[in-house]
This record gives sequence, structure tokens and C-alpha cells, in this order.
Amino acid sequence: MPVLRVAAVQAAAVLMDRAATIERVAGLTAAAAREGAQLVTFPEVFVPGTPIWIDTQPIWDGDEDWFGLLAEGAVVIPSPASEHLAAIAAQHQVWLVIGVNEREQHGSTIYNTVLYFSPRGVLAGRHRKLMPTGSERTVWGMGDGSTLRVVDTGPARVGGLICWENYMPLARFHLYSQGVDVWVAPTLAMGDGWVATMQHLARENRMFVVGVNPVLHADQIPAGFPQRDRLFAPGYLERNGPWVEEGNTVVVAPDGTVMAGPVREREETLVVDLDLRAVAAERRYLDPVGHYNRPDVFRLQVDTSPRPAVVETPGPAAPWDIPAPDSQMINEPQGGPR
Amino acid sequence: MEPVIVAAVQAAPVLLDRDETIGKVVALAEKAAAEGARLVAFPEAFIPGYPDWVWRTRPWDSDAVALYARLFDQALVVGSAATDVLAGTARRLGIWLSVGADERDEAGSTIYNTLLHFAPDGSLAGRHRKLMPTGGERLVWGMGDGSTLRVIETGFGRLGGLICWENYMPLARTALYAQGVDVYLAPTWDNSDVWVPTLRHIAKEGRTYVIGVTSCISAADLPPDLPGRASLYGEDGDWLSRGNSAIVGPEGEVLAGPLTGEEGVLYAEIDAGRARAGRQQFDPVGHYGRSDVFRLAVDTTPRPAVSFGGPDEPADLARPADG
Repeated sequence: MPVLRVAAVQAAAVLMDRAATIERVAGLTAAAAREGAQLVTFPEVFVPGTPIWIDTQPIWDGDEDWFGLLAEGAVVIPSPASEHLAAIAAQHQVWLVIGVNEREQHGSTIYNTVLYFSPRGVLAGRHRKLMPTGSERTVWGMGDGSTLRVVDTGPARVGGLICWENYMPLARFHLYSQGVDVWVAPTLAMGDGWVATMQHLARENRMFVVGVNPVLHADQIPAGFPQRDRLFAPGYLERNGPWVEEGNTVVVAPDGTVMAGPVREREETLVVDLDLRAVAAERRYLDPVGHYNRPDVFRLQVDTSPRPAVVETPGPAAPWDIPAPDSQMINEPQGGPR
Repeated sequence: MEPVIVAAVQAAPVLLDRDETIGKVVALAEKAAAEGARLVAFPEAFIPGYPDWVWRTRPWDSDAVALYARLFDQALVVGSAATDVLAGTARRLGIWLSVGADERDEAGSTIYNTLLHFAPDGSLAGRHRKLMPTGGERLVWGMGDGSTLRVIETGFGRLGGLICWENYMPLARTALYAQGVDVYLAPTWDNSDVWVPTLRHIAKEGRTYVIGVTSCISAADLPPDLPGRASLYGEDGDWLSRGNSAIVGPEGEVLAGPLTGEEGVLYAEIDAGRARAGRQQFDPVGHYGRSDVFRLAVDTTPRPAVSFGGPDEPADLARPADG
């Protein structure tokens, strides 16, 4: 029974080009499926890529064209782009977990979101990052507590957080309490410290951990990218090297040992078999939400209610009221499925 | 806030001999203080040693019972002559002395896995009883209540800590972060390779210095009259614990160690100001906390088994033994 083959795709997006990047997702998912992967994971904001200028340039210093590309390339749910992603999952009969820049259809704020598509092509889960980091706060909004749900894929319960959200102990604990066998941590975080964190999380909740990163060499930025020569402040590449994103994809076992990776400075898909029986076996040692918890001492409350900008309360009908053109859309909470 | 030197002492206790082990604590604290350490940290349950046999015996067989009886006899009682020696050492050397002990109430019959912090003025400034023992440890140790999760101001930063796998309790860690811990002690018996990544993670999660400190003891260190000595333990090379001490900085960088396979003292310079400034990037209980979504309540009430009180009782008796 319980072996799950997971693929962690370390790849480069076609920066700020949604259609071309989704074509890459299709090809890379097909390749992973050919290797028998049942769960295929992609990096943080893979579609249409990382707004790298927030770290290579001072904030708001001539970035309006780039931000325009990001807003235009962001994924709206539902839209042809999200339906294309769903179709990729269905075509290859895989669970597809992928990070996207996401926004509401008529919204102007972009969220850092991870989407979970089932092998039937259904959007089964959606998580908006609760808290962007540093300069990310200038391009991404914050999700609410309504998108912190673990997804039951059948063989395994899959959940996770995005990048430095993984340092939020209370968010992790909330997900642990829902039962997680496989943790997916799409991230941009580089270096050995991040790998240590992936190992710690695995051992803290005795679960498999898949950390999945993008990789981007400066030469991979499309030649026609607007103001391409301005993307990097003078000396930036000399100081930091040509790998704008060096990658760090890693798969960790529930005892905290590294099973594969970390992969750096190249594109590569890690394909690893996860023997899910190890989770229950390891939790006899430690279960942070069960026998190794102290609920008499600690009580965590989580507000999972969707928090749209406006909650409308219907008033008495007035003769001059006009029916809303699409009331369902107006009332749709920001939170997504729950 | 000025930087100071801290020391993590990796050593072997004289297993189940309280006074001999305290003698080692005093000597090693003197050595570390002479090197300039302002905080000297000792391992989990160092006085009079970690009950390693819980991993070697069948529960409650004759060796385990005899070993427990000696552990009980040699356990540390707070307010006794033994703690007076530790307090006096801290005062004499002008250091913070943090030491793990098998500890019990004077009139109590349950042993706790406790971390004691003695201040340079000789006071017992902090005391933490491990909230949850691990596996076989549950046969010898009780559980602390929520009243001993306090972080202490030292003058060079706020000092706190959790014991061994308590460090895998995210809510307990959050309780310490919320009190502004800058110097986080993690005394442990954990010898695994994954332990150091855990120390690095905690440092980065809390943007705090982390001092992991572990006993280093092999069968050659055991007293000959230890119950079960011949049946449970081999010779030199039969490690009870190889040691795994390490000191980590607030960016998750390893400053000293890990030290394994030998006794030794690790030193590092720590600067609480640097830890605090680093929280510009990440603060799990501040700008990166999302307190609108997550609300953690910690019950810090002392929970003695029995509370005495009434119109005729003196007020002192109504107070829990735990203080």
C-alpha cells in the first residue's frame, strides 16, 4: 500500500510570462508523471515567477512596468489559466501543487498562493501566504486564516506553508493538528540554514517534508524583458553571482534525515518514494499535537473565518435599488475553498 | 547591551552520585569563569545524571527498580544544602549558572527533569520543570506545570530554555519567544545528527542565541557499584551519550561545536542586541505573528496536587510547594 512517489520540480519560470510558464509546467509535469510521480510539486510563485526586482533594486524605484507585468500575469481563480493548470493535473492523473502569484478578478492586490489540483482536475486546496517577508510586503498582500487546510489526497494528507511562513510555529501547529503526512514547503529560501529548517520540521511533526525552490540564472531572463539592463543594480550580479535564484530543493524523511537534495544551481526534478508507514512509526516517539502536547497548559485558537474587505448586510429594498450584475462574485469571500 | 562570553559544558556526571557530580559542576564552572564566561550551562539532568537505563532495561525489572531507588535518593531538592552549594558557586564566581537536575520536592516522591538558573547574586532566579518526558523517561519523571516557563532578565539578555524534546513543542517555544528570549538553552540527551539542525532552526525561528548542551559519558565513567553495572553496561566505547553540544547564533549559524566523543567546554560571544536587531527580518511574536489569526493562551497557574487553605491555615501552607 502506502508508498507515494513525489516529484519536486526545481525549474526556472519564464519570468513574468504566464502562458509560457504554464507551458513549462505542462512539460515538467508530463515528465514527472512518466516517472510515476503521483504528487508533483512546484516552487513558490512559479507562475509567472518571482518579482526579483524587489531585492535587486531599491523599493519603488522605477519598477512600475515590472509590477504591471506581475499584475497582468497573476493567476485569477477561476480563469483560463487556472483551468489550464487543472487540466494538466487531470491529463497526467497527478496531484499538482504549485505556487502562483494570484489575485481577485477585479482586485489590485497580488497574493502569494499555493494551489492544490486533484488528479480529477479539481481545485482541492488554496493557501494564501499569511505574511510576506521584508521587501515582499511591497508586492504581496496577506492571506486570512481561512486557507489553512490540509488536503486529503487519498494515500496521504498533504499540507504546508510558503517560505518563511514555515518559521511560524502557530501556523505549523494548526496544520499539524489536522494530520499531515507530507509537508510541501514551496520557497525561495537559499542556503544550509533552510535545509536545517526542513529537517527540523520533519522531526517536529514526524512527517515527510518537500522543500521546493525555483532556480534562475541571469541569462534565463528573456531577452525582451522590459528594461532588462536595469533589473540589477550596478554590481549586484558581481556581488551575488549569476544565480539570481540558486535553488535548494530537498526531500526529508520523518526522522529528519535528508532523502534527496539539496539541488543547487541547476534545474532538476527530484523523484522520491515516500513510505508513508514511517509517519505513524515515528509518531510513537513524538506527536506534537498528541502525546507530546500539553493541552492543559497551551491552548491555541485559530480564526479561520474568511475576512473579505467588505461584508454586506442587506438593508431594506429601496425603489431605486438596481440588482447587482453578478451578486455571487461580489459576495465571494477572499478565502477560497474551505 | 554589551556582548558577553557564554560556556556550554559537555561533561560526564558521576552517575547517581549527587555530591560528587556537584563537585564536578563547581570545578568546571570555575574553569569556565576563569575563561571569562558570564553564563555557564550544564546538560540535562546533569545532577546526578540522566537515567540512561530507561532505554536499556525492561520497565520495572529489578535493575530498573534498584536504579530508580538510587536516583530518588540522589535527586536534588531545591532549598537543600546541595542547591546552596550551587547558589554559592554562582555568587562566588559572579556568573549565571544553569544546570539540569533530577529534582523533587522535599516531601514528594516524584522526580522531575528540571533546569535551574542561579544568578550571580546567589539567588535561584529561574526553575523549569520539563513539561513532557520522552518514551522511557516517562517511567522515571513526572511532568511540570505551566508555571515554570519564565524567561529571566540577566543584564546581557533574556535567558530561557526548554529541555531536550520539549524543543519540539512549538507552543512552548512560542511562549518563550513572547517573553523576548535572547539566550535560549537547550540541554539535551539527543545525540542524533538532526539535533544540530533543530538548534539552527530554533535560532532562526526565534532570532535568538541557542546553547545546546549534552552530557558525554561512556560505560568507563560509571561507578563500579552502580546497580546493573555488569548486566546493563559494557566497557569504554559503550557510550551512554557521545555528546552533541553546540552554540548557534541568531541567524542559525553554528558558532561552536558540535562537540562529540569527548568532554570539553564550548565558548561563544553573544550579543543580545544583534539578536534583537535581527528580528527586523523575522519576529514570530511580532510583525511575523498574525495575532489576528492565531491566539495562544498559556495557563501559567501552579498546579499542586493539593492546595491547603482555610480560615485556620497559615498563609504559607496555602502556597504551592513549587513557589
